[in-house]
Amino acid sequence: MRKSALAGWLLLAPSLVLLGGLVVFPVVYNAWLSLFDKHAFLPVQRFVGLGHYVYFAHDEEFWNSFGHGLVYAGATLVLQIAVGIPTALLLNEGFRGRNLLRGVVLFPYVIPTIVAVMLWKWLLNDSYGLVNHLLVAFGLTRTPVAWLGKDWIMASLVITSVWQFFPFVVVTYLARLQTIPPELYEAATVDGAGAWRRFRHVTLPQTRSVLFVIVLLRSIWMFTKFDTVWLMAGDGGVSRYIRTLPVYAYARSFTYLQAGMGAALAVIMFVMLIVATAVYFRVFEREEAIS
Amino acid sequence: MTRSTLPTSVVSRRRFLTTTGVAAAGATLLARAPAALGQQVRELNVWHTEVEPQTVKTIQDTSIAEFERKFPGFKVKQQALGWGDLNTKLLASLAAGSPPDLTHLNPFMTASLYVKNLLRPMDELIRALGESDIHEATLKLQYFDGKYYGVTHAMGATYFAERRDLREKKGLKPPETYDDMLKLAAALTEGGRYALQMPGEKLYMGFVHPAEWLAGNGGAWVDARTWRPQLNGKAMLEALDYVQKLNKFMPAGWSGQRYLDTLAALATDKIAMAHLSGARTIGYIERYAPESMRDPEHFQPMLRPHGPSGQKGISALDGENWAVFTQSKYPSEAFEFLRLFYKKEHYMAYCHSVPIHLTPIFKSMINDPEYLSHPRIKKWRSWHDVMVNGLRTNRFLPIGFSRPEDNRLPFLAELDGSSIVADMVVEVMVSGKPPKAEADRAQRRAEELLTQLGHKRWS
Repeated sequence: MRKSALAGWLLLAPSLVLLGGLVVFPVVYNAWLSLFDKHAFLPVQRFVGLGHYVYFAHDEEFWNSFGHGLVYAGATLVLQIAVGIPTALLLNEGFRGRNLLRGVVLFPYVIPTIVAVMLWKWLLNDSYGLVNHLLVAFGLTRTPVAWLGKDWIMASLVITSVWQFFPFVVVTYLARLQTIPPELYEAATVDGAGAWRRFRHVTLPQTRSVLFVIVLLRSIWMFTKFDTVWLMAGDGGVSRYIRTLPVYAYARSFTYLQAGMGAALAVIMFVMLIVATAVYFRVFEREEAIS
Repeated sequence: MTRSTLPTSVVSRRRFLTTTGVAAAGATLLARAPAALGQQVRELNVWHTEVEPQTVKTIQDTSIAEFERKFPGFKVKQQALGWGDLNTKLLASLAAGSPPDLTHLNPFMTASLYVKNLLRPMDELIRALGESDIHEATLKLQYFDGKYYGVTHAMGATYFAERRDLREKKGLKPPETYDDMLKLAAALTEGGRYALQMPGEKLYMGFVHPAEWLAGNGGAWVDARTWRPQLNGKAMLEALDYVQKLNKFMPAGWSGQRYLDTLAALATDKIAMAHLSGARTIGYIERYAPESMRDPEHFQPMLRPHGPSGQKGISALDGENWAVFTQSKYPSEAFEFLRLFYKKEHYMAYCHSVPIHLTPIFKSMINDPEYLSHPRIKKWRSWHDVMVNGLRTNRFLPIGFSRPEDNRLPFLAELDGSSIVADMVVEVMVSGKPPKAEADRAQRRAEELLTQLGHKRWS
């Protein structure tokens, strides 16, 4: 028995080493680093304990970034679902060219982020962008809209992100839709249910669990999204209006050169997400139990 | 299936292992062939910020070619990177303990690296190049405690690029003061064309230009003695008031546009002045402006105006310096490379690869007929003259400097990276918030930053 247990541990060892080295160690090291005033590229550090956490509790930039992150994650999540679910329902219907359309819908999700962002920045540019050209040509506005300026930059970022990530919702939701037994719809139709009631009483309950996963994953991913936000305006003056916590953490580490503070921000985000996930799980479990 | 039924072509284990072993040994030997032959190829890593293809090719064909002939065991690997990329990559390489052997540095980063003992002195090289021939505008930028720690690769000024024809039609002279500039901007905003556009990148609107405003209005980033920031001092407040007014004459979305967008806007008649320009702008004009307008009669550089508390307008001098790190793998060879880089024929070819933008650092070469004989310099001679005039009248300071002594501040890179100044400028200009309140906020943040970085000298 002990011999077989040893063999089991030996077989597990490579995975444990990998998991420890690639997941546990960086997390623990990051938490440890957050207790130091550490320069980003010099071996200079000073123990400050929880000093960084206390600082961020009163740091205006931290709360601005947190607020931007909530707005960005919230708006993109709602819109991804609002666009993704109807699209998935449409693609679940039988019509000519459905397979082609299913492929096309995936396109934004498979292109590199840098390409997606550059494409949208080009489209939205107020000097030579196509969007403004069309708006002016159709008489919808007399002067070009500054989509990449202060007032519109968050909206532009949300539009770009929704365009890029809604296919994930489509694919995930569609996969679940295809497994719903058609008999359920047939029975509902026989009982006189229209399209809306079929959706309300058959589709939604059947897709509850996948919606839970979509909301959980997409909210985590959008809250921690770095590349799209950074590429949209990371090095620009307007970055102030869309600076989220991941961008602020990057800035603290690599432009302020304060690695300890950047690490503290990463820990704060980690804790926020753990708490939010736990609450979400609890709420979902309670609702499952009730239903 | 039994062993005897195996087909004869199946490779035996012994044969497989033998073949694999021989192949691996062969591959290793091939990969290390020069070493095995006693002629190890070593790589001299050179990073710089001149990304134009013709400049990269010129360096390759001149300095690198001669270096590799003289040092047969060496290969020079040059990497041309934009400013931002270079800074990020440099920091990462320093953190990893493997920086390039030779690199361009922005002067505002040099002090920071010097105080951390990361740079090698290069007095011998400076003497060999001719200390007295190097222009005063650059000579002592990296001079600390009696030693030189850098040498500028070339000088390029930044200034406004203006539509001279439009200004002259209005009967206005190039502006000397902030007030003149506001009058000019008002006069040139007409018929859907804006007077000017500032680049939206933080580096420019949040660091390079604010340094110019301070320098041109009798101010400075910090108090010389205590290093206490002076972001809410009189000089900055006056400058913020000026740029808030100037904002009315700029396209609404300027803060989301980039430097190159502003040059395109100038060449295509969307604006009358590009706030940030250099001799590179000539390339844009020659490519995108209407053919009949591609000349200095239509496009002209214009130096910065000064503020009410300043004596003369100051522009940023775009001139990174070469630096050799204490951690460089081949420091002697790096210095040898620099000697070849500055060899007259190589250096002349380098400067001619982007004429005027790469103005030579040697006084003897700036007015050398051979240098001036380049067709682009001949055609755009007035741009060269503005550069020479600016150098003569001390109208330039290195990028990010509010006064010459800023070369000793070891935190300018961090101040630039922090967005503190950029946030202040964008709130004042774009959001129209009161300069005093935003300057006070920036001051508080800057004091916090310098305290955190351990540079607080005030009580």
